[in-house]
Amino acid sequence: MLKIIIPTIMLMPLTWLSKKNMIWINTTTYSLLISLISLSLLNQPSNNSLNFSLMFFSDPLSAPLLVLTTWLLPLMLMASQHHLSKEPLIRKKLYITMLTMLQTFLIMTFTATELISFYILFEATLVPTLIIITRWGNQTERLNAGLYFLFYTLMGSLPLLVALISIQNLTGSLNFLLIQYWNQALPDSWSNIFLWLACMMAFMVKMPLYGLHLWLPKAHVEAPIAGSMVLAAILLKLGGYGMLRITTMLNPQTSFMAYPFLMLSLWGMIMTSSICLRQTDLKSLIAYSSVSHMALVIVAVLIQTPWSYMGATALMIAHGLTSSMLFCLANSNYERTHSRTMILARGLQTLLPLMAAWWLLASLTNLALPPSINLIGELFVVMSSFSWSNITIILMGTNITITALYSLYMLITTQRGKYTHHINSIKPSFTRENALMALHMTPLLLLSLNPKIILGFTY
Amino acid sequence: MNPLIFTTILMTVLLGTMIVMMSSHWLMIWIGFEMNLLAIIPILMKKYNPRTMEASTKYFLTQATASMLLMMAIIINLMHSGQWTITKVFNPTASIIMTSALAMKLGLTPFHFWVPEVTQGISLTSGLILLTWQKLAPMSILYQISPSINLNILLTMAVLSILVGGWGGLNQTQLRKIMAYSSIAHMGWMTAVLVYNPTLTMLNMLIYIMMTLTMFMLFIHSSSTTTLSLSHTWNKTPLTTTLILITLLSMGGLPPLSGFMPKWMIIQELTKNNSIILPTLMAIMALLNLYFYMRLTYSTSLTMFPSTNNMKMKWQFETKRITLLPPLIVMSSLLLPLTPMLSILD
Repeated sequence: MLKIIIPTIMLMPLTWLSKKNMIWINTTTYSLLISLISLSLLNQPSNNSLNFSLMFFSDPLSAPLLVLTTWLLPLMLMASQHHLSKEPLIRKKLYITMLTMLQTFLIMTFTATELISFYILFEATLVPTLIIITRWGNQTERLNAGLYFLFYTLMGSLPLLVALISIQNLTGSLNFLLIQYWNQALPDSWSNIFLWLACMMAFMVKMPLYGLHLWLPKAHVEAPIAGSMVLAAILLKLGGYGMLRITTMLNPQTSFMAYPFLMLSLWGMIMTSSICLRQTDLKSLIAYSSVSHMALVIVAVLIQTPWSYMGATALMIAHGLTSSMLFCLANSNYERTHSRTMILARGLQTLLPLMAAWWLLASLTNLALPPSINLIGELFVVMSSFSWSNITIILMGTNITITALYSLYMLITTQRGKYTHHINSIKPSFTRENALMALHMTPLLLLSLNPKIILGFTY
Repeated sequence: MNPLIFTTILMTVLLGTMIVMMSSHWLMIWIGFEMNLLAIIPILMKKYNPRTMEASTKYFLTQATASMLLMMAIIINLMHSGQWTITKVFNPTASIIMTSALAMKLGLTPFHFWVPEVTQGISLTSGLILLTWQKLAPMSILYQISPSINLNILLTMAVLSILVGGWGGLNQTQLRKIMAYSSIAHMGWMTAVLVYNPTLTMLNMLIYIMMTLTMFMLFIHSSSTTTLSLSHTWNKTPLTTTLILITLLSMGGLPPLSGFMPKWMIIQELTKNNSIILPTLMAIMALLNLYFYMRLTYSTSLTMFPSTNNMKMKWQFETKRITLLPPLIVMSSLLLPLTPMLSILD
């Protein structure tokens, strides 16, 4: 694992020592190379995990997330080039350093064995993200957004720290490799109910669960493009990954403790999808759609069946790529019109046809069109929740319909129709932007050919 | 002040604390405290104006009361145990009185009222000495009598201090008052774990002193005592804004910075001793502290605060010397991976 971590750390001296005209080239190239190294982890030989050392390991759940993380860094760098072009050199280097630091922490989080080390790195990802949102966001609301982001997450995760330490006292070790062999059922008592709550709330806030999701639209909307990309694609998945890891230790309370959260998620996904239909702000629409998709993941993780775990993992990867791509598309609009209002820049198909093709593909994958991996994820979740309780099919079906509605609404508003007269002087799409969209879309399409690498450890 | 006299007075302060920390006779400890108190008054009053006079008077009154209470506890201890050696205090009355006296010296709730006002009235360097060096002596006595302290009183004072330190700092814009409330909260954390594992108290003291030293050095470097003047540092030395950000986040206890280490260890120790609600409450109340640190970082490092046009020229005139700043900053932010080394504190 050090073969990925040390090159990522070394990206920081690389940025600081590069010349002015080489910083973007150097960092993007080397981060692409690092993502190539991480691809080798996808080859998981058996049902067991690949243990690299006492501190790092990778199993079929964390390997796809790791590959997604390393894949996203060059994409973030490519996306940020325009809005940083006018900043002084030192600030550009600082930005890239923040992104690289975040990347290092994320890689270490996904591969940590010891749960306390996972916790420390989970919290550590907050600091660079906060700095990216607050320092380089564009509107005054970013200050509030940073505070909401930081405090919601910290409020949820401090009980997690106490819970992890008390589990360590009970079972002797928090090393994940040991726990999977040593698992014993938690006795039924009030304090174990609170333990369950303490363990799960941190990840519920991060996912986010419907009632605790207030930080997400603020943070996603106010963050610069790289911040939005990494938030939507990876940081939300940290919550899902944490939940998937920690529910193995929390039986049998999950069978009854999960009900409130299941209800909130099932209702919340319909609520947030419906809100998307009434949004005027493009980034806000994509942010709420993230909440809706993540609610599906929460449902999948809480019902704890093999198929639902497969669906959760696939949905996380698929949503990561799709959501990140949508944010890049929204950003390409924002860079041209400096506004996030959807109707200000409509009818773009006439002006930027190639970008319209990317918009189409992104919207189609967002609404889970077959045979994309989005569909595989959603389908597995819908099927397993149907087997858990037949009535959920109504809610899930409604959600899929409304998702299709708002994805098409977004597509039609921005692409179709007559263009407004004030945008006929926008710059044509840059090759960089087209490359960015292609690099998002290609893994998504290719994975539909071999989805078993993202189906997680219950395949 | 005449350098020779200043050196003498400073040495007396040092000597007073040293006497407190190294004595085995209760009377010598009291003498050490008094020496410390009397010698630090001129240091607090380096600038001679009514504000510093008021602050020094408040400091003197509270500390003298505390010393008298300490003396009473010592006498009661003498009456009941018949000896002057420092061991744990056997009599509960004496123990309670001594705990209250030391809490008054440290600035724990409910004896915290003097800390913000005294810190605000004195200069930054004196405030630095007040908030770091002066805490060493009472803490060392608490360490030595820790087996006999009444747990209820100590934990109540600790939790209330964390609450007051967090809540009180929320309405402040003066940097010295913010540091004072932060000191109250950190003292709360330190005393909470005193009965369970005094080594962690020392660890927290060490890291707190490093972080407070760093913060004060940064404030002295930019000669700023209000949030507003701190927000102009991006004009003068943009690098210090980053350093202020890192140190403030470390003081707030965010991983992966070293300020997280004492909090984590304290939570671990408390949880091992089967108290779960207490560390959760303490951790959540520490978020209040984090809020006003974040507010400081917002005005200083994360935004470019509005300033007048000639602010950018100020860097040419700032030639304050900052001792030891780079190692301090490194130690106050990057020490977390060295956590296993805290066993050397034993």
